[in-house]
Amino acid sequence: MKSPQTILVVEDDPWFAKQHLRVLKKANFNTKYATDGIAAIGMLDQELPDAVLLDMFLPGPNAMVLLHEMQSYADLSRLPVIICCGSASNIPLDRLAPYGVVEILDKNTMKPNDIVSAIRRVLL
Amino acid sequence: MKGSEIGWTKGEELSDDQIPFMVAAAHELKAPLALIRQLSLSLEEGLEGAENQRQMLRQILLTSERGLRLTSDLTRTVRLEDSLFELEPVNARQLCEDVAHELSPLYKACGRELQVVAGKRQLLAVANRDLLRRILVNFSDNALHYADARTPVLIQSAGYQEGQKIRLGVRDYGPAVSSDIWRRLKRNLGASPQAMQNRPASSGLGLYISGQFAEVMHGSIGATRHRDGATFYVDLLASQQMKLL
Repeated sequence: MKSPQTILVVEDDPWFAKQHLRVLKKANFNTKYATDGIAAIGMLDQELPDAVLLDMFLPGPNAMVLLHEMQSYADLSRLPVIICCGSASNIPLDRLAPYGVVEILDKNTMKPNDIVSAIRRVLL
Repeated sequence: MKGSEIGWTKGEELSDDQIPFMVAAAHELKAPLALIRQLSLSLEEGLEGAENQRQMLRQILLTSERGLRLTSDLTRTVRLEDSLFELEPVNARQLCEDVAHELSPLYKACGRELQVVAGKRQLLAVANRDLLRRILVNFSDNALHYADARTPVLIQSAGYQEGQKIRLGVRDYGPAVSSDIWRRLKRNLGASPQAMQNRPASSGLGLYISGQFAEVMHGSIGATRHRDGATFYVDLLASQQMKLL
């Protein structure tokens, strides 16, 4: 049997993060969780996930810093990243595509399972 | 930008000063609403177990209370100059305890603790009780985002300048704030809110509102950086009433 894929959730709102983790676990994904970019880098160093679900506005270094950092390493630069944030309409996907971002979800309009659909599309 | 300048009447165009304020307010209200919506949609599916349901309903309740506090503060800010705020001697320790009690459900739900630290001496600040409570609630709510889960957030009150002033502050223990972020934060403390994406993972709207409230009470807000966190405080005149006894 194929082992479950692992998703790293980077989200500073602990209750929003819990919501993502609940939804992903129900869809049989393994999950890891970081509250900020620095913690996320630490986790990426330990073990590579299959995809990253990333909020844009984080305390300390924001998501752009993390995306830049990921591009500095060959293995991390290949990881698919899905942005999930409250200002999705202001973020053009084509500007972030060079940083490994493959999809942008809007927290204000998405449905809980949209993160699962997005991840499955990306990992197909 | 004074509180009254934020006021807006239908038909008027927003000034350049008002736009960042409106954007910040909209941004800060959007986050709790988005969370409430996600949790409600999940509950509507009816697939959650009883414990998850209970936890999610609690989060919806506490998040909506948070949003309502912000809207209530915003309304107060807009009407600051239209209203008379009675200043009276306010028992600093008692108020700190009331705030800790008020926020204990929120802190508990986040797995955190809010503790009151006060000396034996009774301190009376010249303040409007409601506005001072709102400032401390704002600081404590802010601290919740940054405090290390293993250490409690402290609400402190102390006299200084030979008892002429009283400082009420909220101390959080968390990662050190870098110098450049701190400089930016200090510069913007109490100033018009704007996009800040570092220590305050928000617009600084709460600090702006607190600054406005402090000003009405002839006080001011400030912040101190520690190696392991920060203290946000409000300085007020001390009531001399106790000395007369």
